[in-house]
Amino acid sequence: MDLPTLISILQSGLALGVLYALMAFGLAIVWTTLGIFNFAHGAFIAAGAYLAWQFGNAAAFGLGYWAGAVLAVAAMFVIGAVVQLLLVRPFERHRDIVLLTVITTLAGATIITNLLNVIWGPRMKQIEPALDGEIVFGLVHMRSQEAVMIAVVAVTLFALGWFLLRTPLGRSMRAVAQNREAAQLMGLDVRLLYALTFGLAAAVAGLAGVFIGSIRFMSPTMGDDPLQKALVVVILGGVARFTSSVYAAFAVGIIEAFSTYFVGLYWTPAVLFGLMILVLIVKPEGLFGRRQRSV
Amino acid sequence: MSALLKVERLSGGYEPVQIFKDVDLEVEHGACAGLFGPNGHGKTTLLRTISGLIDPWSGNILFDGVQLNTPGERRTRRSRNLNYDILVRRRMDPKKVARAGLIHVAQGSPLFPELTVAETLSIAPAAARGGGRPSDPELPFTLFPQLKERRQSKARFLSGGERQMLAIACGMLAAPRLLILDEPTLGLSPKLRLELADAVHAIRGAGVPIILVDQDVGFLRDLVDKLHVFDHGSISRVLPRADIPDHETLMADLFGKAH
Repeated sequence: MDLPTLISILQSGLALGVLYALMAFGLAIVWTTLGIFNFAHGAFIAAGAYLAWQFGNAAAFGLGYWAGAVLAVAAMFVIGAVVQLLLVRPFERHRDIVLLTVITTLAGATIITNLLNVIWGPRMKQIEPALDGEIVFGLVHMRSQEAVMIAVVAVTLFALGWFLLRTPLGRSMRAVAQNREAAQLMGLDVRLLYALTFGLAAAVAGLAGVFIGSIRFMSPTMGDDPLQKALVVVILGGVARFTSSVYAAFAVGIIEAFSTYFVGLYWTPAVLFGLMILVLIVKPEGLFGRRQRSV
Repeated sequence: MSALLKVERLSGGYEPVQIFKDVDLEVEHGACAGLFGPNGHGKTTLLRTISGLIDPWSGNILFDGVQLNTPGERRTRRSRNLNYDILVRRRMDPKKVARAGLIHVAQGSPLFPELTVAETLSIAPAAARGGGRPSDPELPFTLFPQLKERRQSKARFLSGGERQMLAIACGMLAAPRLLILDEPTLGLSPKLRLELADAVHAIRGAGVPIILVDQDVGFLRDLVDKLHVFDHGSISRVLPRADIPDHETLMADLFGKAH
């Protein structure tokens, strides 16, 4: 393996890593805060991509890439909150909430995916990238769109970290995640915080969808594969902190890039899932985790 | 003048087990009510019901003349499985209770393990006052100087006593109109017990009405206006301050003369 190959593997790992970080964020925050696993997360990714296409692309409303992305993310926030209201909240106080919401969010995923299919059809689409061309920096050749994505995701992750750590609303979300009862006794609006958390997760998933839709192709089932990867990321990283799934996302991205080069595309999911099972056996709380649920 | 808190014939528990039955409890404006009774007889469950964490089965809770629970029949098991505000109203909403100024400091709460002392204190007042400003942000540190040094520590690294201090401080930052303290000195060393007892005295001195649960009759006798003796899921006696016996006598009354 020569240097340019190594660089391009790392580069592709980085691009995957930022996408996985975005996707895992939503899964992790919903898991820690609401205590449920959201199987509709992949469908959120696809919905975000289609909305951005609809708002942004010249063939549709033609508002441009950025306006499309912003509107899609905002719409996904609302959609996420509505999905929580319809599919999760009714079972909030049920003792089998985890299992029930597995079913309801799976149902939600199916409904959203089929809605996308009905509205936009099964044909592959692509969001026109914000920037064309390539950036060349020494040995690094990168598509401009990928560079844009990495920059925007970096800013987004820092903003999310700042939000969770520094703002009263973010701190309240973490508080509810860590001790629901104590939060209720303090008078925090737990239901509102649950809906906001779900909305935030959906919005970030939507952003991931926008990027996937502009560097790859989009189809109504485009979220299925990223959902699997995000699951691997969350399990590998653990959910002790907001940052643990971010680290794990980059680790998985790089591993996937290397594995695709050396093992091949078809066996890469097997490599990742094998790794995940290994981590579950050796360190079930995740590589960066503690035996505790919190953000 | 009507009482600040009036609990009428309240029954409740954890489905299907009833824990307490037909409890009547009144706390006057500016008063301090003591609640004393053996462990495992339902004191904490009663308080959790009053603060809305669990739905009452029957009875009423009035705070300053306002009814906190939705009146009506207890729901059937089937409808309680659903949680739609639109379709089925919860009988109690802990947020509403806290925002009315009835603040419950839970027994031995781990609080928020990953939040620092400063972070926890920063959300306490906003939570209960619906975004209002705290009257005195230095209050926690005047009550508990020790917390000041631990500002940047996460709650999970605090000692049991420090965590209790933080919990009480959070309660006070919410500018309570009635403060429920559920065994604030539980499991603490004698030195810390004294320190917390002093703080409770200071809070009482500031005129905050309190419902105080404790196992130490001496401590209760110094503070409360009335002592409610709770046993087997109901209040068996209400003793005015002057009639509160010492610990030995009360225990002998409750359990028979064992020693």
